[in-house]
Amino acid sequence: MTAFAIRPGQALPVGAPVRVRKHPPEQHCRTPFYLRGIEGEITDVMGCFRDPSLLAFHKPGLPLRVLYRVRFKQADVWPNYSGSPKDTVVADIYDHWIEPLAGEKA
Amino acid sequence: MTERKVNDIGGLPAGPVCQDEHASTLHEKRVDAILKILSGPKLKAFTSDAMRRAIESNTKEDYRNLGYYDKWIRAARELIIEQQILSREEIETRVEQLRAKYKKVAA
Repeated sequence: MTAFAIRPGQALPVGAPVRVRKHPPEQHCRTPFYLRGIEGEITDVMGCFRDPSLLAFHKPGLPLRVLYRVRFKQADVWPNYSGSPKDTVVADIYDHWIEPLAGEKA
Repeated sequence: MTERKVNDIGGLPAGPVCQDEHASTLHEKRVDAILKILSGPKLKAFTSDAMRRAIESNTKEDYRNLGYYDKWIRAARELIIEQQILSREEIETRVEQLRAKYKKVAA
């Protein structure tokens, strides 16, 4: 996968709190179902990439999507999670699958 | 529809994961080679994204029961047809020819 440069102001900053959207999954969907509706924090901005949900249908994959690395608390993901409250899970999420949480900027 | 896809099973109740390993079989190596040739820079018949999508289009039952490489080769067949590289009839005719040939050899 080739990463393309991000335009100034195009991406959310590292540390921004976000929530995974509850879209209907695309026919090829890279967002795990168990993260839908879960709140997390951006830890990395990976660059712009062709959209895999469109590449999957032999299309050019445009518009490009910003790919984020997002960290979630395991306790937020799994009901009755019995591990440490410090445990986290990190997932790569494309921009159209997350929404910024307004007024809670880190 | 907000239903999860057949492949998207992370976090669902399941038994212990089988972690046995085995050496790759000739069949598995062949499937891998065919995939590399089809998706490689020369042919560019389809992307790995399209492969994933084809695999994810399996029924729940097939997704669960088919082996890893069996899902691969079935997906490759569907994409070859979709991309009009070969028709379903051409593939089936050739499979029949090969089946007859190997039956004779085995006999």
